[in-house]
Amino acid sequence: MTTRLLMMMAVLVPAMAFAEPDFSGAWVRDGARSDVVPNTMYWLTRGVDAGGGRGRNTQTVVEVQQSAGRMRVADPARPPRMLILDGKPHAVPTDTGIQMATVVATMQGETLTVSTTQPFGGMPGNVSLKITETWSLSPDGKVLTVRTERELPASRQSFNEVYNRR
Amino acid sequence: MARTISRRGLFAAAAAGFAAPTALGTGATGAAQAAQQPGSAGLPAVWGQDFLNQWSPPEHVPRDLKPGKSQLRLSAQVNPRLTAVKDNDYATFFSNLRAGGWSAVEAASDAWQSRPRPDSEIREVKAQAKANDVVFYALHCAGNIIAPDPEADRWQRHIIDTIHAAEAVGCELILTHAGSMYPNRNWAHPQNWSRESWTRTVNALKRICKDTAGSKVDIAIEAVNTESVNNPWAHKRLREDVGDPRITVGLDITNMVHPGVAFRMTELINTTFDLLEDQIRYVHAKDFVWNTMLPGINWAMNGTGNMDYEMFLVRLSRLKTNPYVLVEFLTENEEYAQAQRNIRAIAGKLGVGILGTQA
Repeated sequence: MTTRLLMMMAVLVPAMAFAEPDFSGAWVRDGARSDVVPNTMYWLTRGVDAGGGRGRNTQTVVEVQQSAGRMRVADPARPPRMLILDGKPHAVPTDTGIQMATVVATMQGETLTVSTTQPFGGMPGNVSLKITETWSLSPDGKVLTVRTERELPASRQSFNEVYNRR
Repeated sequence: MARTISRRGLFAAAAAGFAAPTALGTGATGAAQAAQQPGSAGLPAVWGQDFLNQWSPPEHVPRDLKPGKSQLRLSAQVNPRLTAVKDNDYATFFSNLRAGGWSAVEAASDAWQSRPRPDSEIREVKAQAKANDVVFYALHCAGNIIAPDPEADRWQRHIIDTIHAAEAVGCELILTHAGSMYPNRNWAHPQNWSRESWTRTVNALKRICKDTAGSKVDIAIEAVNTESVNNPWAHKRLREDVGDPRITVGLDITNMVHPGVAFRMTELINTTFDLLEDQIRYVHAKDFVWNTMLPGINWAMNGTGNMDYEMFLVRLSRLKTNPYVLVEFLTENEEYAQAQRNIRAIAGKLGVGILGTQA
C-alpha cells in the first residue's frame, strides 16, 4: 500500500508542481473588490480629470484564451494582446503603433508575470514606463486577481483588480 | 547669438504673395527646407492630402538624438516665487531653489514692479543668485500690447518699464507676446491673424524697441495659439518686420500645438529649431495630449504626452549657449519635482547635460 502510494506520488506530484494555471475564460471585473484605476494612458495636469478610468461600477469583461504557451487577452478598453509565455523578451508595437514595447511574460508557479517596458503613452521621446502585471487564480479557479505596478521616474503606482469567472 | 537679420526672405515671400513663409536663412538645414509646406506655414503633406487632413506622422521620421554640449538650466514656477520672498531672505530662497535642482529663475513683471526695489535689495538678489549659481534671467510679462485702445498703450508702457527694471536687476531678457484684439489675450479674436492685427503687433514692438534703444535686454516673444505668432515661421517673420535684433524667441512649442501637429511634434520641433535656433533665448517645457472629441488638447505631465522630449532636449543641448528651461503650468511643488525627475531621466539616457542635481 505504502509503496503504491509513493509510486503514485512520484508520478503525480511533479505533474502537479509543473501544471501551469489556465487563465482562459470570460472574466467580469468586480468593481467592489477592485481598486479604482485612473486613466493610465494620459497623465493630465492642472486638475483636469482625463476620465476613462475604471471605477467601482465598471463592469468590464475581459476574455482570455490560453493554449500552447500563448495567451490572448481581449480587454474592451485596449487593443487585443497576444502574450508569449516563454519568459523571453518580445518586441511588439505599442498601442499607438508608432513605438515599440518590450514584453516578457513568465509563468512562475501559480502566477503569471507580464512585464512591459515602453515609452509612456506609446509616443516618441517620452519617459520610459515599466508596467508589471501579476496574474493569479483563486484555488477554485473562479477568481482572477491582477496586480499592476506602473513605474516611471516621476512616480510609482500600484493597484489590484479582481475578476469573477462568468 | 546672431545679430543680423536677413530681409531677403521677407521680400521673397512678399513677391510671391505669401503671407507668412520666408526663405530660409543660410543657417537652416535641409531638414527645415523639407519640413515646410510650399507656400504655407505648415508641415509637408504625408499621404492623401487631397482628401485627408495631414495629421498622422510620416513613417520613419528622422530622429537624430546626438546631444550637444550645452548644459540646461532648469527653472520652475515653484512656490514661494521670487517676488514673494519673506523679509528679503534671498539667501534661503536661492539656496532652496538650487537644492531642488533649479538653477535659473524668473519673475512676473507686474509682481516685480509692484513696489520699489531699493538698490540694497537688488544687490542682495544678485549676490545670493551668484552665490548659489542660480541665474535670474527674465521678467515675464502677461500683458496685451495690441489690446483695444487705450489698453494697448498702457501695456506697451508696462513692457518698456519692465525692460528698464530688467536692466536694473541684470536680467538678460523680458518675455512678451504678439497680443490679441480682445482685451483678454487668451481669447482668440477672429481678426488676430489679420493684416491689421499683425501690423499692430509690429508697430507696438517697434515702439518698444525705439523707446528702449541702447538697452541690452532682449525682447523674447512667446508663441501663443490664440495669437498671430503661433508657429515658427511667424516668429521668424516678426523679427524681420520689426527689424530689431533684440526681438528674439521665448520658445514655447506646446503653445503652437493644433490638431495638424499634435502627432507630428518631432517634425515641428526640428523645424522650429532649424528656423530659429540662433534667436532662441529661452524655452518653456510643457507637455500635452489630445484626449477629447473636439480638438481638446490638455496639459500633461512632462515626458508623458506628445511632445517628443528626447528630440526637444537634444535640440536644446545643441544651442550655442546654455538654455534656460522654464517648467511651467503645473500646480503643486511636488508636480514640479515629478516633472524634473522625468526630464532628468530622459536627458540622462541621451547624455544631455542639466546643471545641478535634484534632491
